[in-house]
Amino acid sequence: MKKKTVIIYTVICTALFVTGMIGSVISLNRPHGSRVEIISDGVILCTVDLELSEDEVFTVEYENRKNIIEIKDRRIRVKDADCPDRVCVRTGWLTTPSIPIICLPNRLEIRYSDDGGIDAAAK
Amino acid sequence: MKRSGLVCLIAVFILSGCAPEKKENTVSFYAMDTVMTVKGYGEADALKKAENRIKELDILLSSENENSDIYRINHSDGKEIPLSEDALKIIKKSCEYGEITGGAVDITLYPLVREWGFFSGGYNIPEKEKIENIFEKTGYENIKINGSSVTLPQGFAIDLGAAAKGYSGDETAKILKENGVDSAVITLGGNVRAVGEKPDGSPWKIAVCDPFSTNDYFCTLSVKDCSVVTSGDYQRYFIGEDGKKYCHIFDPKTGYPAESGVASATVIGRDGLACDLLSTAVFVMGVTDAEKLYRENGDFEMILVLQDGGLFVTEGIEAMTEIKNGKEYTVIHR
Repeated sequence: MKKKTVIIYTVICTALFVTGMIGSVISLNRPHGSRVEIISDGVILCTVDLELSEDEVFTVEYENRKNIIEIKDRRIRVKDADCPDRVCVRTGWLTTPSIPIICLPNRLEIRYSDDGGIDAAAK
Repeated sequence: MKRSGLVCLIAVFILSGCAPEKKENTVSFYAMDTVMTVKGYGEADALKKAENRIKELDILLSSENENSDIYRINHSDGKEIPLSEDALKIIKKSCEYGEITGGAVDITLYPLVREWGFFSGGYNIPEKEKIENIFEKTGYENIKINGSSVTLPQGFAIDLGAAAKGYSGDETAKILKENGVDSAVITLGGNVRAVGEKPDGSPWKIAVCDPFSTNDYFCTLSVKDCSVVTSGDYQRYFIGEDGKKYCHIFDPKTGYPAESGVASATVIGRDGLACDLLSTAVFVMGVTDAEKLYRENGDFEMILVLQDGGLFVTEGIEAMTEIKNGKEYTVIHR
């Protein structure tokens, strides 16, 4: 094989490798964004951008049961709920993509719109 | 010839980039008392079929639904009941894993768990005498299987909570593959089934919930075509009047909520049903017995987080595990 051909092959392979590495680094480090979906019984009620939202407290109802949601300092949580297990309240602030805040009895889900490079969560 | 080789190489890279991409579709719905999500690359119709299958299994396998196989057997008054293939498969495997794990997972604990209020949400610590009376009517060894029929002694009852989601993940994966979706990730309320790999050939990235900070994760796993199932004491629990924490995973040997020192047990393997049963079992067994089980019957990998913060990772999954913040861990070798 001629020296020139070897150089061309090397350049192509190196370029592909570097492109792949850059892609992986970007993909693994991309932030999860600040857009959050509030979903009741499978229906998206609203999408809020935590970076832009004012601090507020509001209530989401499902079959006369309530979850009180708080947005404060660009974070979101279920502040209070009348479900029996209160798992949603105990979860605290939403911090991680793929680990949404879920209230099963009241069929409420609060999650980031972007998965942040994580495909699913075992919990 | 050499030039044509170079042309071919370039053509392969260009054409691979031009291959028709399968479309990403996601369905999300409630079943088995939790949120289910199926994300797959392929036809939306395939995902709909997967959703329908999970909903069908939800009815069939629920201990609370009057139309289910499990409800029928729980109300059979000791009579032999013919069961569906699905229910039968799960019951058989649950008994098999009862044996393999030395009785650490037992599907007949249902009446006991119900008495503590874990199904109704009316949590309470039952009287000791009541627990002992109910405990007498538990034990998977009492399930008699005859062909496709099952007999459960009077007063006994079963619940497939430690197995149904794992089995449903396997069935969903099968349906997706049959319908041309060979790249998907299924989340069954925190019980994850990865189908194949991502369309770009990279592994799926699965986070594992931090038992001490349940809105966060402590590690990620890069895996292909397998199940990842976690059992933890933080999923369903209550604090009793005595100030003690009582979780929904019961120890079949004591009849009380498990106190093995494990805060979270994650099992990784090809067989989702087995992973589901094993995650409960190793949670109940504790780290010493779980290590022994891994060495003797190790067709699975696991990650254990202990109540004292200790972290154990089996050697087969170590290379695929990325622990956050460089936390130290102990490797369990075969």
